[in-house]
Amino acid sequence: MEILWIIILMGYAMCVAQSIFALTAKRPVMRRTALAALAIALGAHTAWLLLRGLSTGRMPLVGTQEMSAFLSWGLVLSTLIAYRWYHANALKAFIFPIVLVLAAIAAISPGPTGQVQEFSNTLQSILLPAHVGLLLLAYASFFVAFGAGVMYIIQERELRHKRFRTIFYRLPSLDTCDAISSKAMAIGFVLMTLGIVGGVWYSYSRYHVYWQAGPLEIFSVVTWLLYLIIIQSRINAGWGGRAAALASIVSFIIVICSLVGVRYLGHAF
Amino acid sequence: MNIVLVGLSHKTAPLEMRERLAFGEPLLSDALSRLADQEIVDEGLIVSTCNRVELIASTPAGADQGLNYLAEFLCHFHKLAPATLNGHLYKHVDSNAVKHLFRVASSLDSMVVGESQILGQVKEAYQHAINAGTIGRVLSQLMHRALSVAKRIRTETGVAQNPVSVSSVAVELARKIFEDLSDKTVLLVGAGEMGELAARSLIDAGTNKLIVTNRTAERAEEIAGKYSGGAVNFEAFYDVLPSADIVLCSTGSPDYVIRPGETKRALKSRKKGPVLFIDISVPRNIDPGLASLENAFLFDVDDLDSIVKTNIRDREREAQRAEVIIEAEVQGFVNQLRSLDIGPAVVEVKELLSVIVISEFKRNRKRLGALSPEQETAIEDVLIPALVNKLSHPMIVHLRNAARDGKPTQMMDELRKMIRID
Repeated sequence: MEILWIIILMGYAMCVAQSIFALTAKRPVMRRTALAALAIALGAHTAWLLLRGLSTGRMPLVGTQEMSAFLSWGLVLSTLIAYRWYHANALKAFIFPIVLVLAAIAAISPGPTGQVQEFSNTLQSILLPAHVGLLLLAYASFFVAFGAGVMYIIQERELRHKRFRTIFYRLPSLDTCDAISSKAMAIGFVLMTLGIVGGVWYSYSRYHVYWQAGPLEIFSVVTWLLYLIIIQSRINAGWGGRAAALASIVSFIIVICSLVGVRYLGHAF
Repeated sequence: MNIVLVGLSHKTAPLEMRERLAFGEPLLSDALSRLADQEIVDEGLIVSTCNRVELIASTPAGADQGLNYLAEFLCHFHKLAPATLNGHLYKHVDSNAVKHLFRVASSLDSMVVGESQILGQVKEAYQHAINAGTIGRVLSQLMHRALSVAKRIRTETGVAQNPVSVSSVAVELARKIFEDLSDKTVLLVGAGEMGELAARSLIDAGTNKLIVTNRTAERAEEIAGKYSGGAVNFEAFYDVLPSADIVLCSTGSPDYVIRPGETKRALKSRKKGPVLFIDISVPRNIDPGLASLENAFLFDVDDLDSIVKTNIRDREREAQRAEVIIEAEVQGFVNQLRSLDIGPAVVEVKELLSVIVISEFKRNRKRLGALSPEQETAIEDVLIPALVNKLSHPMIVHLRNAARDGKPTQMMDELRKMIRID
């Protein structure tokens, strides 16, 4: 398992270096090498998740190590999907540093210790991992929206200052940044809704209550409302461009800060 | 065998001279067949564009004769006195000619470095020469190499990157804001020539719709008709402003025509992302205050000009890197050509050697005693060729090295002296 993490970290590190360099370099270098490194790292990453799942007989979504591994895997996947849809190569430079950090956290964290939750029926054993997995994928999507928002702000700055450095030519157009951001946010919102439904259902099935009013639950609902408002304003008020980009950045920062806050208050998934 | 090149370009000759010496398409096939007279010139090619005329030929008669022939041909064909071309022609031989052609094809010798047309024109010239039957072994290799060098320089250096004209900068800006132009509307305010030019490059880039407005309505309608767009009343253009994604302004007005107040309202009612404002009028027609509006991006003539200048500087810097590539490619090509030239010499060396080996074998045949037919054929088909190959190998290596240094004939003479039986 150790060797897999070495491969994964080396592969992602290479992608991070190449993608950041490509943003400012006159000529793209080592594009193919970085692509090969990404393919190998993603393969190893997927293999690790599969092996962990097979050896424990459950979804690899328990504890810091598995959740970081799964979240970073979801981020790579979302970035690749965004690339497939919008051909925005520059996005990698904004997402992969976090992928690398999360992968590093997963690599050095110990596996889940102590008693892993026992489920009293199959429904619960499906609902809890679905709930956690969907929420993690939703955060991955929101992070892509955040990355696209950052690209929008940088590109807008270049246009306003009329200083066209290399990065201006490397970043996608404003419309593309906007499209990535709004689509990622919409997908994230759907995933989050499903994740919350899964959580509520699980709670009912296990504790026979829908709502326990814990900090995490309140936080989830607030986040959900926040994104609902942003998406709604985008659609109805024709809220595009800079404001939407800023909203995707700010909302993500709020989500991360409160998520960290909630975890440190002592409540975990 | 020499490669010779005679030509003139925007750097050496004025436009009217280039015009008089141009080979228009109807003239080209006749000119090509007359150029390759098979005596002094056995392969020929003519590149003729509005910026240059180049005659390239391979000549068995020697470099000087070849150059004179090409220069005379140019005068004769266009019925000009040779003296009129004095000082306007450049003449290149062998590696210099190769280098010049590589630079031309790679657009390093163009008026705007890195422009893409010239490569197509060179390709076309090559195709014409193929059709006229004036391309042989030497020029076909030269042209293939020239085209691949041009491609290499395009991809490996930045000579062709980033736009270098006001219109193309406008298109690039539009693409960096909108990505897809196919559903975008251009509003042209003022129907001057510059405005029309910029509007046309946007239309060529694939914008969906053109709306024209002008103080004199007829002119607006004329342009609108030309690009199948619509014309609106000049007083009413704020009404169509919300539907425009790109606003091009070029009127002769001494004051600002587009002001922030009204524009802000228009942007509000528009309910979708950014709008690109391009002001190519002098004095300016769009209030600079517009630039501070959210989702409005304003560029005036000076902005566009400074982008053009930066990009030209960037291209020139990249051109220096391209020159290094050209240098190496020329050397590679010349070596390749010379090693091809030693083909006949290699055959000669082998023949001389096999004559010796065979005659020695025949002379000493009796000493070998009775041989079976299989043994006989083994000697003739295997042993003797193997001996010849082994013996000739170091000589061929020497020949190739000598060819690389440009002295294959001297080396061949040396070898003949060494091998000669008499």
